[in-house]
Amino acid sequence: MGVLGLVGTRKGLFLLRGDDARRTWQAEGPLLDGWGVYHATVDARDGTVYAAANHLVYGPTVQRSADGGKTWQRSKQLSLPEWSGLTVNAAWHIEPGLPQEPGTLYLGADPGVLFRSDDHGKTWEPNLGILEHHTRDRWYPGAGGLCIHSIQVDPGDRRRMYVGITAAGTFRTEDGGQTWMPVNQNVAVDHLPELYPEVGQCVHKLLLHPARPERLWQQGHCGVYRSDDCGDSWDRLDGNGLPSSFGFPIMIDPKDPDTAFVIPEKSPEYHYSPDGQLAVYGTRDSGQTWESMSDGLPRPAWAAVLREASAFDGDSLYFGTQSGSFFALANGTWVEAARHLPPVLSVEVTQWST
Amino acid sequence: MVHVIVPSVLAAQAEGRQRFEVAAAAETVGDALRALPVADLLFNERGEWNRYLNVYVDGTDTRERGGPACPLTGAREIRVIAMIAGG
Repeated sequence: MGVLGLVGTRKGLFLLRGDDARRTWQAEGPLLDGWGVYHATVDARDGTVYAAANHLVYGPTVQRSADGGKTWQRSKQLSLPEWSGLTVNAAWHIEPGLPQEPGTLYLGADPGVLFRSDDHGKTWEPNLGILEHHTRDRWYPGAGGLCIHSIQVDPGDRRRMYVGITAAGTFRTEDGGQTWMPVNQNVAVDHLPELYPEVGQCVHKLLLHPARPERLWQQGHCGVYRSDDCGDSWDRLDGNGLPSSFGFPIMIDPKDPDTAFVIPEKSPEYHYSPDGQLAVYGTRDSGQTWESMSDGLPRPAWAAVLREASAFDGDSLYFGTQSGSFFALANGTWVEAARHLPPVLSVEVTQWST
Repeated sequence: MVHVIVPSVLAAQAEGRQRFEVAAAAETVGDALRALPVADLLFNERGEWNRYLNVYVDGTDTRERGGPACPLTGAREIRVIAMIAGG
């Protein structure tokens, strides 16, 4: 088996096929040529590839391919109820549902909206609990818009889900999406008058650990946090050896709930590697200590890595930069698997038969 | 009969077709574009033209003639032009 990287870029989707050692890679693409692929993923339940593809002129779309990217079908046009006064600005993140709900997928989009499909992505319906949330007037867009970019379904209880919204924070439902509760206690917002508001947190990426689903990790605008109680409370972790509290992606090890990885950037004002030292930082003790992993990475490098542009498949780590490089960790050393791609927006990995 | 020509990004979304023939019943350029299999990429969910859309009827920018309401009387060709903005 080899590794297949789905690398979404500002100008299309690239498929990068690596050998089992992750040292030799071949690129195919661009697929969905000309579209900004904010996220692409393979639905492990049936192998369908889904892409959140956006275009300056032609708008937001969800595209799906049943043949590995050779041909694509567009979902029915995304739409919000007219009474909402809102229209869909961009499709951000596609999250397949649990194995016991085949055909169900979730889509996060701008302006802070969540969609659900129960027909394998052909049509999408907005979640009214999010659309009509009583705190929405306190949500505000980040530089990338007001987007739902993180969707996590509890594998043991599909009625419990989480979304991460920039900039509104983390929200949890216990009733399958009818009602949503902000769960942002102790998560700082340095740029608002109130340091710990109910909502307004700029979560950059939120992940749930599949083997310990009460444990959540987030990289935010104002720190790295872990929750061990379904988001009811959060512990801040970036003071434990990270060069910066700021960054976008976070990765976890599906086999080890105590392991996570981040890619720090200098600060909210300066989105590039601190001191020109591009590095992934990993913790194996729940965030008590962090260790730099930079062997093989270029330096100096002033890299910017977006929130969707990293992945961990259980065996290795992967990320892409806005300068068009894609890196894979091969036996402890980073390999630049591709360079000179358009700016990388998203990375997912899966296996493929060599 | 009016011919509609679309740019390659749209053609790729229509099984590779770059030219379409629209029946004479289409009275306006909006009617003609709404008949295309890529209509959802030209109009937003409220039925309005996407902001950066450039459409010419027999060489005239439809912005000068009412946008989607531009009449097709006697027209032979509608051309959707690839974006002229962005990076």
